[in-house]
Amino acid sequence: MNSEFTQAIKQFKKNRLAVLGFYMAAVLMLISILAPLISPHDPLSIDLVNKLKPGFWEGNYHNFLGTDNLGRDILSRIIYGGAISLKVGYMVILITTIFGTIFGLVSAYFGGVIDMVIQRVVDVFLAFPPLLLALAVAASLGTGIEKAMLAISLTYIPGMARVVRGSVLTVKTLPYVEASRALGGSSTWIITRHILPNILAPAVVYITLLLADAILYTAALGFLGVGIDPSTPEWGAMLSTGRDFLLMGQWWVTVFPGIMIVLAVLSFNLFGDGLREALDSKLRND
Amino acid sequence: MGLYRYTIRRLVLAIPTVIGVSIIVFLLIHIIPGNPVDVMLGAKATEAARIALTERLGLDQPLYLQYWNWFTHALQGDFGSSVTSYESVTTAVLGRFPATIELTLLSMTIAVVFGIIFGVTAARYRNTIVDNLTIGVSLLGVSIPVFWLGIMLIYIFAAVMHVLPVSGRITMGLSVTNITGLYLLDSLITGNWAAFKDCFMHLLLPAFSLATIPLALITRVTRSSMLDVLNEDYIRTARAKGLPYRSVVFKHALKNALIPVITVIGLQLGTMLGGAILVETVFAWPGIGRLLITAISNRDYPTVQGIVFMISFLFIVINLVVDLIYAYVDPRIRFE
Repeated sequence: MNSEFTQAIKQFKKNRLAVLGFYMAAVLMLISILAPLISPHDPLSIDLVNKLKPGFWEGNYHNFLGTDNLGRDILSRIIYGGAISLKVGYMVILITTIFGTIFGLVSAYFGGVIDMVIQRVVDVFLAFPPLLLALAVAASLGTGIEKAMLAISLTYIPGMARVVRGSVLTVKTLPYVEASRALGGSSTWIITRHILPNILAPAVVYITLLLADAILYTAALGFLGVGIDPSTPEWGAMLSTGRDFLLMGQWWVTVFPGIMIVLAVLSFNLFGDGLREALDSKLRND
Repeated sequence: MGLYRYTIRRLVLAIPTVIGVSIIVFLLIHIIPGNPVDVMLGAKATEAARIALTERLGLDQPLYLQYWNWFTHALQGDFGSSVTSYESVTTAVLGRFPATIELTLLSMTIAVVFGIIFGVTAARYRNTIVDNLTIGVSLLGVSIPVFWLGIMLIYIFAAVMHVLPVSGRITMGLSVTNITGLYLLDSLITGNWAAFKDCFMHLLLPAFSLATIPLALITRVTRSSMLDVLNEDYIRTARAKGLPYRSVVFKHALKNALIPVITVIGLQLGTMLGGAILVETVFAWPGIGRLLITAISNRDYPTVQGIVFMISFLFIVINLVVDLIYAYVDPRIRFE
């Protein structure tokens, strides 16, 4: 296990783009944790006298990236926005992993009628175009970050259940599982000791790429004003506010939150892709 | 299994999925926290209006009866009427549908044509600067939110350069004789060149925005699938026969490499139906996506339910068609 792990890390380090993605993601996480300490202003404080002020390119170092239509500091809002996006992302991952793993595991391990029922339910959820389900559920549940998290998770649980089910079905037939059962190992023992550790690799890859998607979906909900309050310093919502001022030349309200979304999504995509390649080539060498 | 039997089997398997989707869509109105009628009408509504709406939506009946009524009406294409405008939901959706179809079809055409060209080129020049550039750009393509890209394109091409229109489908004052509802096609049929050009200009930015993600994915899949195929024995044989590389790539390899691409196209059509909601909002494009967002902000839940069900139903049909095409071009699928 240990040497396999070091081998995967070695493989990962060879992929320069993936390493770049890892560092970008790490910096982003650090910034979002330290948001209250490093943010120059209060992201919610309104200052109508200084509304729509340009930033450093016009010599305004007080509001480095300028201010929005209510005079709120854009740099501070972007920093807090990262914290919100990542918070939603982590929660989506947590909810998706818990329920996806349970459903996938139960489905694959017990098979039969249980498997069939769970798989038909998964089919139903996968029959919705991805954004549509999250949007419809968020619209019904009403405004609130927690509700947005729930709505986005609902989109990913079925996919996760499929991934877990597939891996479990492969692992289940391997000789060491059979050996454990022959020695009288209980279902719980086999699942926790033999199956879970061995489905970790595909699950981790799915989760990393899911984080990129979750950030994108949160921004989309914020942009559409569904489930996320427009005054929240959330990247998508900020960008949506700025849209009205873009045609008048105040581009910074829209441009900076957008760049942050791109950087965040790109970093997790690069990281996830690199992870997949590293773990895959490990499997191929076996 | 023959293609005919396979088709029947897939059709039968789609039935529980459609029923499941209808249950979830029906429940959307019941997961609203509190009384849905209060949410839809607001706090100032009179008691009479509240009772009237409750009766109209059948919310005073037992849940199973409500579902049965909703589902049997939905099967006949009746999704009730809008809470705000009293217009039939089906009429509203059908009126907006061609705009979304036109946008999606043009985007998909852009994505397929350029995606295959880029993918084949990248595979052909593997590990060169061309290949690396293609991979880099396609990675960026899947990471840019379509709504932000759309806004930036408006800023560059409409606000700064003034070469393309900001939003909408056609300039005020121009009109197209309605035949299919697809403005490009209709103006072409009637020979209305001024309108054709105008509609095309209006379509460019939204279609390009919506095309980025499928374009990036089709490029990636075409590239990796081409690389797989180029390693096959029959390609080596073709080369050994002395056939020129170009004809081996386009005649032998591409045909086989396109099979996985079909799956991606099918899946992406569904994702595009979701993406269209965002793009239509950015460009004030009068399609079903914008209708949905308007209905959500008006808390017009019967309209929301109707749209969500119809789009999902369309997605199921698309997936079914893609699976059948797949089974047709690759008979191994049918025997799994």
